[in-house]
Amino acid sequence: MALCLTLLAAGDACRKSPPAGPADASPLPLARATLQHLKGTVSVKRAAADDWTAASEGMALLENDTVQTGARASAQVRFPNGSSVVVGEEALIGIAETGGSPGRDRTDLTVRRGTVDATLETPTTQDLSVGTPAATVRAGREIVFQ
Amino acid sequence: MRPLLLALAVASVAPAKETLVQPKETLADVARRTLGSPEAASELKAINHLETDSVAAGTRLLLPGQERDLALGAIASAKSAVHQATLGAARTEASARLADAERLLSSARYQEAAAQADGAWKLVSQRLEDPSHFAIQVADDGTTRVHVDSGIPVRVEAEGRTRAVSPGETVLVRRGEAPGVPSGPSGPQGQGVLEAPVLLSPSPNLHLALDPKGKGVGPLRLSWRAVAGARGYLVELKGPSPQTLRTTHAEASFPSVLTGSYRWSVRALGIEGALGPSAERSLDVSSGNIKLEVQPPDWK
Repeated sequence: MALCLTLLAAGDACRKSPPAGPADASPLPLARATLQHLKGTVSVKRAAADDWTAASEGMALLENDTVQTGARASAQVRFPNGSSVVVGEEALIGIAETGGSPGRDRTDLTVRRGTVDATLETPTTQDLSVGTPAATVRAGREIVFQ
Repeated sequence: MRPLLLALAVASVAPAKETLVQPKETLADVARRTLGSPEAASELKAINHLETDSVAAGTRLLLPGQERDLALGAIASAKSAVHQATLGAARTEASARLADAERLLSSARYQEAAAQADGAWKLVSQRLEDPSHFAIQVADDGTTRVHVDSGIPVRVEAEGRTRAVSPGETVLVRRGEAPGVPSGPSGPQGQGVLEAPVLLSPSPNLHLALDPKGKGVGPLRLSWRAVAGARGYLVELKGPSPQTLRTTHAEASFPSVLTGSYRWSVRALGIEGALGPSAERSLDVSSGNIKLEVQPPDWK
Protein backbone atom coordinates (compact mmCIF):
# COMPACT_ATOMS: atom_id res chain seq x y z
CA MET A 1 0.00 0.00 0.00
CA ALA A 2 2.79 2.34 0.92
CA LEU A 3 4.38 1.68 -2.42
CA CYS A 4 1.14 2.41 -4.25
CA LEU A 5 0.71 5.66 -2.34
CA THR A 6 4.27 6.60 -3.15
CA LEU A 7 3.73 5.87 -6.78
CA LEU A 8 0.44 7.72 -6.84
CA ALA A 9 2.11 10.71 -5.22
CA ALA A 10 4.86 10.48 -7.76
CA GLY A 11 2.44 10.11 -10.61
CA ASP A 12 1.92 13.75 -11.44
CA ALA A 13 5.58 14.51 -11.38
CA CYS A 14 6.31 11.40 -13.41
CA ARG A 15 3.94 12.52 -16.10
CA LYS A 16 5.76 15.81 -16.50
CA SER A 17 7.76 15.88 -19.65
CA PRO A 18 10.44 18.13 -21.07
CA PRO A 19 9.46 21.00 -23.35
CA ALA A 20 7.67 19.62 -26.35
CA GLY A 21 9.74 19.28 -29.49
CA PRO A 22 8.67 18.37 -33.00
CA ALA A 23 5.82 15.91 -33.31
CA ASP A 24 7.10 12.41 -32.77
CA ALA A 25 5.29 9.12 -32.70
CA SER A 26 7.50 7.76 -29.90
CA PRO A 27 6.31 8.39 -26.32
CA LEU A 28 7.92 11.26 -24.44
CA PRO A 29 10.48 10.16 -21.87
CA LEU A 30 9.46 10.45 -18.23
CA ALA A 31 10.97 13.11 -16.03
CA ARG A 32 13.01 11.39 -13.35
CA ALA A 33 13.81 14.54 -11.40
CA THR A 34 13.69 18.32 -11.49
CA LEU A 35 16.57 20.74 -11.20
CA GLN A 36 16.06 23.65 -8.79
CA HIS A 37 17.85 26.38 -6.84
CA LEU A 38 20.67 26.75 -9.32
CA LYS A 39 23.71 28.67 -8.19
CA GLY A 40 26.80 29.33 -10.29
CA THR A 41 27.65 27.31 -13.38
CA VAL A 42 25.47 24.23 -13.70
CA SER A 43 25.47 22.23 -16.94
CA VAL A 44 23.37 19.35 -18.20
CA LYS A 45 24.19 16.76 -20.83
CA ARG A 46 21.18 14.93 -22.17
CA ALA A 47 21.50 11.18 -22.59
CA ALA A 48 21.24 11.44 -26.35
CA ALA A 49 23.34 14.57 -26.71
CA ASP A 50 27.06 15.08 -27.09
CA ASP A 51 27.23 18.62 -25.78
CA TRP A 52 26.75 20.23 -22.42
CA THR A 53 24.14 22.94 -22.14
CA ALA A 54 23.48 25.45 -19.39
CA ALA A 55 20.92 24.21 -16.88
CA SER A 56 17.78 26.20 -16.22
CA GLU A 57 15.55 26.53 -13.17
CA GLY A 58 12.86 23.85 -13.08
CA MET A 59 14.49 21.82 -15.82
CA ALA A 60 13.20 18.25 -16.07
CA LEU A 61 15.90 15.62 -15.83
CA LEU A 62 15.47 12.42 -17.76
CA GLU A 63 16.94 8.96 -17.50
CA ASN A 64 20.69 8.92 -18.14
CA ASP A 65 21.04 12.72 -18.09
CA THR A 66 24.22 14.04 -16.52
CA VAL A 67 24.57 17.16 -14.38
CA GLN A 68 27.81 18.96 -13.69
CA THR A 69 28.49 21.84 -11.30
CA GLY A 70 31.39 24.25 -11.50
CA ALA A 71 33.46 25.86 -8.78
CA ARG A 72 31.29 27.48 -6.08
CA ALA A 73 28.19 26.21 -7.87
CA SER A 74 25.34 24.11 -6.52
CA ALA A 75 21.92 22.82 -7.51
CA GLN A 76 19.07 20.87 -5.99
CA VAL A 77 17.74 17.75 -7.67
CA ARG A 78 14.21 16.94 -6.54
CA PHE A 79 12.71 13.52 -7.20
CA PRO A 80 9.01 12.83 -7.79
CA ASN A 81 8.56 11.17 -4.39
CA GLY A 82 9.72 14.36 -2.64
CA SER A 83 13.24 13.29 -1.75
CA SER A 84 15.97 15.66 -2.85
CA VAL A 85 19.72 16.11 -3.02
CA VAL A 86 21.77 19.28 -3.05
CA VAL A 87 24.68 18.84 -5.42
CA GLY A 88 27.79 20.64 -4.25
CA GLU A 89 30.50 22.35 -6.26
CA GLU A 90 32.59 20.56 -8.88
CA ALA A 91 30.36 17.52 -8.83
CA LEU A 92 29.31 15.16 -11.60
CA ILE A 93 26.11 13.16 -11.23
CA GLY A 94 23.93 10.94 -13.41
CA ILE A 95 20.16 10.53 -13.26
CA ALA A 96 18.60 7.04 -13.07
CA GLU A 97 21.37 5.60 -15.17
CA THR A 98 20.89 2.35 -17.03
CA GLY A 99 23.75 0.10 -18.01
CA GLY A 100 25.70 0.73 -14.83
CA SER A 101 28.11 -1.69 -13.25
CA PRO A 102 27.27 -5.38 -13.77
CA GLY A 103 25.32 -6.85 -10.90
CA ARG A 104 24.19 -3.46 -9.64
CA ASP A 105 20.59 -2.35 -9.59
CA ARG A 106 19.68 0.92 -11.19
CA THR A 107 19.78 3.79 -8.74
CA ASP A 108 17.91 7.09 -8.68
CA LEU A 109 21.16 8.97 -8.82
CA THR A 110 24.80 8.23 -9.54
CA VAL A 111 27.48 10.41 -7.98
CA ARG A 112 30.68 10.08 -9.95
CA ARG A 113 32.50 12.95 -8.29
CA GLY A 114 31.85 15.54 -5.59
CA THR A 115 29.46 15.81 -2.69
CA VAL A 116 25.70 15.56 -2.43
CA ASP A 117 23.54 16.26 0.63
CA ALA A 118 20.38 14.19 0.58
CA THR A 119 17.10 14.81 2.40
CA LEU A 120 14.06 12.60 2.84
CA GLU A 121 11.42 14.65 4.60
CA THR A 122 9.20 11.63 5.30
CA PRO A 123 11.32 8.48 5.18
CA THR A 124 8.21 6.36 5.79
CA THR A 125 6.96 7.09 2.30
CA GLN A 126 10.12 8.07 0.48
CA ASP A 127 13.20 6.21 -0.58
CA LEU A 128 16.34 7.16 -2.42
CA SER A 129 19.11 5.06 -3.87
CA VAL A 130 22.44 6.60 -4.81
CA GLY A 131 25.20 4.80 -6.68
CA THR A 132 28.86 5.73 -6.57
CA PRO A 133 31.92 4.07 -8.13
CA ALA A 134 32.46 2.22 -4.84
CA ALA A 135 29.05 1.63 -3.27
CA THR A 136 25.28 1.86 -3.38
CA VAL A 137 23.59 3.92 -0.69
CA ARG A 138 19.93 3.30 0.10
CA ALA A 139 17.79 5.41 2.37
CA GLY A 140 14.16 5.39 3.44
CA ARG A 141 11.66 2.63 3.14
CA GLU A 142 12.55 -0.64 1.49
CA ILE A 143 10.18 -1.42 -1.36
CA VAL A 144 9.05 -4.89 -0.47
CA PHE A 145 5.96 -6.83 -1.33
CA GLN A 146 3.37 -4.27 -0.32
CA MET B 1 3.49 3.62 -12.54
CA ARG B 2 2.57 0.52 -14.50
CA PRO B 3 6.14 -0.58 -15.34
CA LEU B 4 7.13 -0.39 -11.66
CA LEU B 5 4.17 -2.42 -10.51
CA LEU B 6 4.83 -4.86 -13.29
CA ALA B 7 8.46 -5.10 -12.24
CA LEU B 8 7.44 -5.92 -8.69
CA ALA B 9 4.92 -8.43 -9.89
CA VAL B 10 7.55 -10.04 -12.07
CA ALA B 11 10.04 -9.99 -9.21
CA SER B 12 7.65 -11.89 -7.03
CA VAL B 13 6.91 -14.66 -9.48
CA ALA B 14 9.84 -14.58 -11.87
CA PRO B 15 11.35 -18.01 -12.44
CA ALA B 16 14.86 -18.07 -11.24
CA LYS B 17 18.07 -18.86 -13.00
CA GLU B 18 19.45 -22.36 -12.99
CA THR B 19 22.74 -23.92 -12.12
CA LEU B 20 24.29 -27.29 -12.85
CA VAL B 21 25.67 -29.27 -9.93
CA GLN B 22 29.37 -29.88 -10.46
CA PRO B 23 31.12 -33.16 -9.66
CA LYS B 24 31.74 -33.68 -5.94
CA GLU B 25 29.62 -30.64 -5.04
CA THR B 26 27.29 -30.81 -2.06
CA LEU B 27 24.16 -28.73 -1.77
CA ALA B 28 26.03 -26.45 0.64
CA ASP B 29 28.78 -26.03 -1.96
CA VAL B 30 26.21 -25.05 -4.59
CA ALA B 31 24.61 -22.61 -2.14
CA ARG B 32 27.98 -21.05 -1.39
CA ARG B 33 28.83 -20.79 -5.09
CA THR B 34 25.51 -19.38 -6.25
CA LEU B 35 24.04 -17.58 -3.23
CA GLY B 36 27.18 -16.69 -1.32
CA SER B 37 26.45 -18.76 1.77
CA PRO B 38 26.38 -22.50 2.53
CA GLU B 39 23.51 -21.80 4.92
CA ALA B 40 21.31 -21.07 1.91
CA ALA B 41 21.35 -24.80 1.10
CA SER B 42 17.98 -25.10 2.83
CA GLU B 43 16.56 -22.56 0.38
CA LEU B 44 17.82 -24.55 -2.60
CA LYS B 45 16.36 -27.66 -1.06
CA ALA B 46 12.95 -26.00 -0.69
CA ILE B 47 12.91 -24.40 -4.13
CA ASN B 48 13.88 -27.64 -5.85
CA HIS B 49 11.69 -29.85 -3.66
CA LEU B 50 14.62 -32.02 -2.65
CA GLU B 51 14.10 -34.72 -0.08
CA THR B 52 17.72 -34.94 1.07
CA ASP B 53 20.87 -32.81 1.12
CA SER B 54 22.67 -35.03 -1.37
CA VAL B 55 22.44 -34.06 -5.00
CA ALA B 56 23.98 -35.80 -7.99
CA ALA B 57 26.46 -34.10 -10.26
CA GLY B 58 24.81 -32.84 -13.41
CA THR B 59 21.52 -32.09 -11.66
CA ARG B 60 19.98 -28.84 -12.82
CA LEU B 61 18.88 -26.73 -9.84
CA LEU B 62 16.62 -23.72 -9.83
CA LEU B 63 17.99 -20.61 -8.12
CA PRO B 64 15.94 -17.92 -6.37
CA GLY B 65 15.30 -14.69 -8.20
CA GLN B 66 15.10 -11.06 -7.20
CA GLU B 67 12.52 -11.78 -4.52
CA ARG B 68 15.30 -13.26 -2.39
CA ASP B 69 17.31 -10.03 -2.58
CA LEU B 70 14.27 -8.03 -1.55
CA ALA B 71 13.62 -10.32 1.39
CA LEU B 72 17.27 -10.12 2.44
CA GLY B 73 17.11 -6.34 2.23
CA ALA B 74 13.97 -6.21 4.36
CA ILE B 75 15.55 -8.49 6.96
CA ALA B 76 18.74 -6.39 7.02
CA SER B 77 16.68 -3.23 7.60
CA ALA B 78 14.66 -4.89 10.34
CA LYS B 79 17.80 -6.25 12.03
CA SER B 80 19.33 -2.81 12.06
CA ALA B 81 16.18 -1.26 13.52
CA VAL B 82 15.77 -3.99 16.16
CA HIS B 83 19.42 -3.69 17.13
CA GLN B 84 19.00 0.03 17.79
CA ALA B 85 15.63 -0.17 19.48
CA THR B 86 15.35 0.35 23.20
CA LEU B 87 14.36 -2.64 25.30
CA GLY B 88 10.65 -3.14 25.64
CA ALA B 89 7.65 -5.04 24.44
CA ALA B 90 7.95 -3.67 20.92
CA ARG B 91 11.52 -4.88 20.62
CA THR B 92 10.63 -8.32 21.99
CA GLU B 93 7.79 -8.64 19.51
CA ALA B 94 9.98 -7.34 16.67
CA SER B 95 12.74 -9.83 17.55
CA ALA B 96 10.23 -12.67 17.38
CA ARG B 97 8.99 -11.49 14.01
CA LEU B 98 12.53 -11.16 12.76
CA ALA B 99 13.33 -14.72 13.82
CA ASP B 100 10.21 -15.82 11.99
CA ALA B 101 11.32 -13.90 8.90
CA GLU B 102 14.67 -15.70 8.93
CA ARG B 103 12.94 -19.05 9.31
CA LEU B 104 10.71 -18.27 6.35
CA LEU B 105 13.74 -17.18 4.34
CA SER B 106 15.50 -20.48 5.01
CA SER B 107 12.53 -22.31 3.54
CA ALA B 108 12.51 -20.01 0.50
CA ARG B 109 9.21 -18.35 1.43
CA TYR B 110 10.59 -14.99 0.42
CA GLN B 111 7.43 -12.92 0.24
CA GLU B 112 6.31 -14.02 3.68
CA ALA B 113 9.82 -13.44 5.04
CA ALA B 114 9.81 -9.90 3.66
CA ALA B 115 6.38 -9.20 5.12
CA GLN B 116 7.43 -10.43 8.57
CA ALA B 117 10.64 -8.39 8.46
CA ASP B 118 8.65 -5.38 7.37
CA GLY B 119 6.36 -5.84 10.37
CA ALA B 120 9.34 -6.08 12.70
CA TRP B 121 10.80 -2.93 11.22
CA LYS B 122 7.57 -1.00 11.72
CA LEU B 123 7.34 -2.07 15.36
CA VAL B 124 10.68 -0.65 16.42
CA SER B 125 11.34 2.22 14.06
CA GLN B 126 10.66 5.08 16.39
CA ARG B 127 12.28 7.81 14.37
CA LEU B 128 10.38 7.12 11.20
CA GLU B 129 8.82 10.54 11.09
CA ASP B 130 12.11 12.38 11.51
CA PRO B 131 13.49 13.73 8.25
CA SER B 132 16.50 11.82 7.04
CA HIS B 133 19.62 13.78 6.17
CA PHE B 134 22.84 12.28 4.91
CA ALA B 135 25.83 13.30 2.79
CA ILE B 136 27.74 11.33 0.18
CA GLN B 137 31.21 12.42 -0.88
CA VAL B 138 32.99 10.79 -3.82
CA ALA B 139 36.70 11.40 -4.28
CA ASP B 140 38.47 11.38 -7.63
CA ASP B 141 39.51 7.74 -7.13
CA GLY B 142 35.91 6.73 -6.43
CA THR B 143 36.38 6.36 -2.69
CA THR B 144 33.01 7.05 -1.12
CA ARG B 145 32.26 8.53 2.27
CA VAL B 146 28.74 8.44 3.67
CA HIS B 147 27.82 10.48 6.72
CA VAL B 148 24.36 10.32 8.27
CA ASP B 149 23.26 13.46 10.08
CA SER B 150 19.78 12.47 11.22
CA GLY B 151 16.81 10.20 10.67
CA ILE B 152 16.74 6.46 10.20
CA PRO B 153 19.89 4.48 9.34
CA VAL B 154 21.12 4.48 5.77
CA ARG B 155 22.22 1.23 4.13
CA VAL B 156 25.56 1.19 2.35
CA GLU B 157 26.21 -1.76 0.06
CA ALA B 158 29.42 -2.79 -1.67
CA GLU B 159 30.95 -6.07 -2.75
CA GLY B 160 27.95 -8.03 -1.49
CA ARG B 161 28.08 -6.59 2.01
CA THR B 162 25.66 -4.13 3.60
CA ARG B 163 26.38 -1.80 6.50
CA ALA B 164 23.74 0.19 8.34
CA VAL B 165 25.00 3.69 9.07
CA SER B 166 23.18 5.41 11.92
CA PRO B 167 22.86 9.15 12.62
CA GLY B 168 26.21 10.61 13.67
CA GLU B 169 28.14 7.82 11.96
CA THR B 170 30.40 7.88 8.92
CA VAL B 171 31.44 5.01 6.72
CA LEU B 172 34.18 4.88 4.12
CA VAL B 173 34.07 2.60 1.08
CA ARG B 174 37.06 2.15 -1.19
CA ARG B 175 36.55 0.92 -4.73
CA GLY B 176 36.43 -2.87 -4.90
CA GLU B 177 36.18 -3.23 -1.13
CA ALA B 178 33.33 -3.88 1.29
CA PRO B 179 32.14 -0.95 3.43
CA GLY B 180 34.34 -0.24 6.44
CA VAL B 181 33.13 -0.22 10.01
CA PRO B 182 31.05 2.92 10.63
CA SER B 183 32.71 5.40 12.94
CA GLY B 184 30.55 6.67 15.76
CA PRO B 185 30.36 10.24 16.98
CA SER B 186 32.66 9.32 19.85
CA GLY B 187 33.80 5.87 18.81
CA PRO B 188 37.42 4.81 18.78
CA GLN B 189 37.19 3.94 15.12
CA GLY B 190 36.91 7.60 14.24
CA GLN B 191 40.57 7.85 13.45
CA GLY B 192 40.34 5.00 10.96
CA VAL B 193 37.98 6.99 8.80
CA LEU B 194 40.17 10.04 8.42
CA GLU B 195 42.26 10.10 5.29
CA ALA B 196 45.60 11.67 4.59
CA PRO B 197 45.07 15.18 3.26
CA VAL B 198 45.86 15.78 -0.40
CA LEU B 199 48.55 18.47 -0.40
CA LEU B 200 47.94 21.24 -2.89
CA SER B 201 50.48 24.03 -2.56
CA PRO B 202 53.44 24.49 -2.77
CA SER B 203 54.06 21.82 -5.42
CA PRO B 204 56.49 19.00 -4.57
CA ASN B 205 60.18 20.02 -4.34
CA LEU B 206 59.39 23.59 -5.26
CA HIS B 207 62.09 26.20 -4.80
CA LEU B 208 60.24 29.03 -3.13
CA ALA B 209 61.65 32.56 -3.02
CA LEU B 210 60.06 34.60 -0.21
CA ASP B 211 60.43 38.16 0.98
CA PRO B 212 62.82 38.84 3.88
CA LYS B 213 60.96 38.89 7.16
CA GLY B 214 62.90 39.44 10.39
CA LYS B 215 65.77 36.99 10.52
CA GLY B 216 64.21 34.78 7.91
CA VAL B 217 61.77 34.99 5.04
CA GLY B 218 58.01 34.75 4.81
CA PRO B 219 55.21 34.22 4.87
CA LEU B 220 55.27 30.54 3.94
CA ARG B 221 51.76 29.53 2.93
CA LEU B 222 50.68 25.89 2.69
CA SER B 223 47.37 24.47 1.52
CA TRP B 224 45.71 21.08 1.11
CA ARG B 225 42.35 19.61 0.27
CA ALA B 226 39.94 19.46 3.20
CA VAL B 227 39.39 16.01 4.70
CA ALA B 228 35.79 15.00 5.37
CA GLY B 229 35.14 14.47 9.06
CA ALA B 230 38.26 16.36 10.13
CA ARG B 231 37.87 18.70 13.11
CA GLY B 232 41.17 20.38 12.33
CA TYR B 233 44.67 19.78 11.05
CA LEU B 234 48.11 19.36 12.55
CA VAL B 235 50.76 20.97 10.37
CA GLU B 236 54.42 20.26 10.94
CA LEU B 237 57.36 21.97 9.32
CA LYS B 238 60.69 20.12 9.60
CA GLY B 239 63.90 21.92 8.64
CA PRO B 240 66.09 24.84 9.70
CA SER B 241 63.25 26.42 11.70
CA PRO B 242 60.91 23.58 12.74
CA GLN B 243 57.38 24.66 13.66
CA THR B 244 54.08 22.96 14.42
CA LEU B 245 50.63 24.48 14.36
CA ARG B 246 47.00 23.48 14.54
CA THR B 247 44.39 24.95 12.28
CA THR B 248 40.76 24.37 11.48
CA HIS B 249 41.17 25.45 7.84
CA ALA B 250 42.74 23.59 4.95
CA GLU B 251 45.59 26.07 4.85
CA ALA B 252 48.34 27.35 7.10
CA SER B 253 50.72 30.28 7.09
CA PHE B 254 54.08 30.55 8.83
CA PRO B 255 54.96 34.27 9.10
CA SER B 256 58.71 33.76 9.07
CA VAL B 257 61.03 30.81 8.44
CA LEU B 258 64.76 30.48 7.96
CA THR B 259 65.92 29.71 4.47
CA GLY B 260 66.82 26.10 3.66
CA SER B 261 65.30 22.73 2.80
CA TYR B 262 62.10 21.68 4.53
CA ARG B 263 59.66 18.82 4.71
CA TRP B 264 56.10 19.73 5.63
CA SER B 265 53.38 17.37 6.70
CA VAL B 266 49.67 17.63 7.43
CA ARG B 267 47.47 15.25 9.44
CA ALA B 268 43.72 15.52 9.90
CA LEU B 269 42.49 15.73 13.47
CA GLY B 270 39.48 13.61 14.30
CA ILE B 271 37.13 13.47 17.23
CA GLU B 272 38.82 13.58 20.64
CA GLY B 273 42.14 14.46 19.02
CA ALA B 274 42.49 11.29 16.95
CA LEU B 275 45.04 11.78 14.20
CA GLY B 276 44.66 10.62 10.63
CA PRO B 277 47.52 9.51 8.41
CA SER B 278 50.14 12.01 7.36
CA ALA B 279 50.81 13.51 3.94
CA GLU B 280 54.29 14.92 3.46
CA ARG B 281 56.13 16.99 0.90
CA SER B 282 59.53 18.75 0.41
CA LEU B 283 60.33 22.31 -0.52
CA ASP B 284 63.28 24.69 -0.56
CA VAL B 285 62.92 28.18 0.82
CA SER B 286 65.23 31.02 -0.17
CA SER B 287 65.21 34.77 -0.03
CA GLY B 288 63.55 36.45 -2.92
CA ASN B 289 65.38 39.71 -2.17
CA ILE B 290 67.41 40.39 -5.28
CA LYS B 291 70.49 42.54 -4.69
CA LEU B 292 70.90 45.15 -7.35
CA GLU B 293 74.40 46.55 -7.61
CA VAL B 294 74.55 49.56 -9.85
CA GLN B 295 78.04 50.49 -10.94
CA PRO B 296 78.78 54.21 -11.26
CA PRO B 297 78.97 55.13 -14.90
CA ASP B 298 82.37 55.71 -16.47
CA TRP B 299 81.23 58.90 -18.14
CA LYS B 300 80.56 62.22 -16.49
